[in-house]
Amino acid sequence: MATALQDRTAVRREGRPPAGSGAAPLERQHRRIFWPFAGPALLVYAVLFLAPIGYAAWTSLYKWDGMGAKQWRGLHNYQVLFGDPAFRTSLLNTLEILVVGGAITFAISLALTLVLREMRARLFARSVLFFPCLVNAMVFGIAAGFLFSPDGPVNTVLHWLGVAAPPKWLATDNLFPMIVATLVWTATGYYTAIIMAAVDQIPEYLYEAAELDGASAFQRFRHVTLPLAWDVISVCAVLWTVSSVKIFELILMYGGSSSNQPPVSTWNTAMYVYTEAFPQTSAPQLGMATAAALVSLVMVGVITLALRRLMRRTAVEY
Amino acid sequence: MNSKTKTARRVVGVATAVVLAAGASACGSGGAGGGAKAGGFTYWSMWRAGEPQAKVIQAAIDRFQSDTGIKVDVTWAGRDVTKKIGPAIAARQAPDLWDQGADAVYAATAQAGQALDLSDVLGMEVPGEGKKVADVIPAKYLDALPKDPNGKNHYIIPYEVSSAGLFYNAADPDLAAAMPTAPATWADFLKVCDALKAKGRACLASDGELAWENGLTLDYLLAAGGVDFSALSSDKSGASWDNPAVLTAVQQVEQLVKGGYLLGGYDATKFPAQETNWSAGKAAFYSDGSWVTDEVAKQVPADWKMGAMLPPGATNADSMLFGFSMPRTAKNVAPAQKFIAYFQQQKVLGGISTEAGNITPRSDIPAPAVLADVQKALNSAPVRLTYGGVAGSYPTKVFNQNFLDLWHGKTSAEQFVSTMKSDQVSFWKSQD
Repeated sequence: MATALQDRTAVRREGRPPAGSGAAPLERQHRRIFWPFAGPALLVYAVLFLAPIGYAAWTSLYKWDGMGAKQWRGLHNYQVLFGDPAFRTSLLNTLEILVVGGAITFAISLALTLVLREMRARLFARSVLFFPCLVNAMVFGIAAGFLFSPDGPVNTVLHWLGVAAPPKWLATDNLFPMIVATLVWTATGYYTAIIMAAVDQIPEYLYEAAELDGASAFQRFRHVTLPLAWDVISVCAVLWTVSSVKIFELILMYGGSSSNQPPVSTWNTAMYVYTEAFPQTSAPQLGMATAAALVSLVMVGVITLALRRLMRRTAVEY
Repeated sequence: MNSKTKTARRVVGVATAVVLAAGASACGSGGAGGGAKAGGFTYWSMWRAGEPQAKVIQAAIDRFQSDTGIKVDVTWAGRDVTKKIGPAIAARQAPDLWDQGADAVYAATAQAGQALDLSDVLGMEVPGEGKKVADVIPAKYLDALPKDPNGKNHYIIPYEVSSAGLFYNAADPDLAAAMPTAPATWADFLKVCDALKAKGRACLASDGELAWENGLTLDYLLAAGGVDFSALSSDKSGASWDNPAVLTAVQQVEQLVKGGYLLGGYDATKFPAQETNWSAGKAAFYSDGSWVTDEVAKQVPADWKMGAMLPPGATNADSMLFGFSMPRTAKNVAPAQKFIAYFQQQKVLGGISTEAGNITPRSDIPAPAVLADVQKALNSAPVRLTYGGVAGSYPTKVFNQNFLDLWHGKTSAEQFVSTMKSDQVSFWKSQD
């Protein structure tokens, strides 16, 4: 059925015209105005983004407290970084948020898409789903202490439901799963809203045709919704990758207090960078901090490229 | 480990960071003597305008200005002044004077040799008292501080002292019956706990997520056994953990956990849930810094009588100093130093006790009633630094997680000692 559907609807997007020799007058015009238009933007980009990254890369080769003289360390900072159990934990946690958190978020988002498209009052349902994303993550960090305390509202409800021994939600071991769960909860509504916007654009007659062909709700999702919203989903995957690596305040709020950093078992690379750059009782280790930041930058870059490549499909027009 | 300040809660800290970021340029233009015209100096304070300490210092500044004609250009920067001072020194925009906890001053400036030696101030006269600054500030406070690269530890002149210990309600009838006199040994203390337990009362309330606060008891018990946390933690071979006195202290802490003396649910709540339970009388003791008296001041019942003691066996109180410091790059040295000495006057410094509710280093200024026990402990014997003044990422990367595992009953005393030893060895390897 899928092929039939595609034959009827899909039109291959025309490829770009091959870059000509430049003989055409319009082409020459384009070339002439390229730099005057692109130049200022590139300059801003270079000054505000590339130069700081370059400076960070340079700093990562030194031991520097931000005040005194820099001491050359070469690649030793990176060696130390990968030898530091705290950094290895941070790296693993970052990947866990990215992969496990991402898989759960998108599984729920897509399942919601399946339901939301067909249900009544879907605009209302969508608003409700989107709401957690509007609330500052810090609020969750603070509210968790009240909601999940042993005699807090969550356990009270569980007690009514007959759960005699609810888990120790706020125990140190459960902090990281709680953080991931909160992230999934806030992110799901966000990605559902974006994916639903794409799904709304899919013409109704495709679903009608699929239904006439005898497709079930899941088959309609699998053969109509998914391929036609694929571009948006893949962009969402990239957005998640980039944003999940930068998560930071939630971890700080969940596990930290003013006199203690959050436990290392909950750190991600962003948290690691923070603790090296703003330690509580020692001079900043800016070399280590920038080295850690660069490692996570490279990691995001590689994962984003891999995702783009893996999720590349021929675009479908309708 | 950061001694400062639980009163500055994280939320406030983040808010301050935002405000500071916005105000950084303002500080910059005022720094480096820019705002200090003839004879004046610039001062960045760790307090925010409106805090009790800020009011006391502002009043002192007003009197100082009218007494001496020296203009003080003050910025109420808040706690994150610590994060601002280093970059400001690097940019030659630092103020002439700033204040923070001694650990923060050391970490942010003195450790890197960026703090001015204030020995001169100790030799200056306290106006109108015929005494030198060194005569009113007990030398033991400065002696306990770590030395900077030049071998000096006079990089701070304190105006406020905190200490840690076990806090309790001396008017609690159950406790009064269980503890007619202060227990002298750890075994006596456990007897008190047993007596409380027999009455259905928990001995200790604990916010189980907090390694620093709960670890204070271990720190004291180690000191009681003659083990200095600084020497213990800085040993790159880890062999210092083999000292039998270490295991004894750890086992004493384990007795608290295994004996069921901790108020139930302590490992499943977030601060300040259990501190609140303690102030409601659900447990007898709470281990914390002396700022806890201020934190619970509005919650405790009217008949509450705040008592404090060191974990039995320990004899030397720890001290956490807050005071004035000067960057090495300070331009207006003389007027700023004059102010530091001016602030040590009994009538000026007294405000830290009467207005701000804290202990001052001067033993002739009585502490507020709720802190009387703490001041007595500070005055009675030499002091030591909390956790031996251990700095850097050691607490977060080595101590905290392992200690919490012990505190939550997940590991035994022996396991704690052996993982501390191995984690410490790999930590120091990664610090080379």
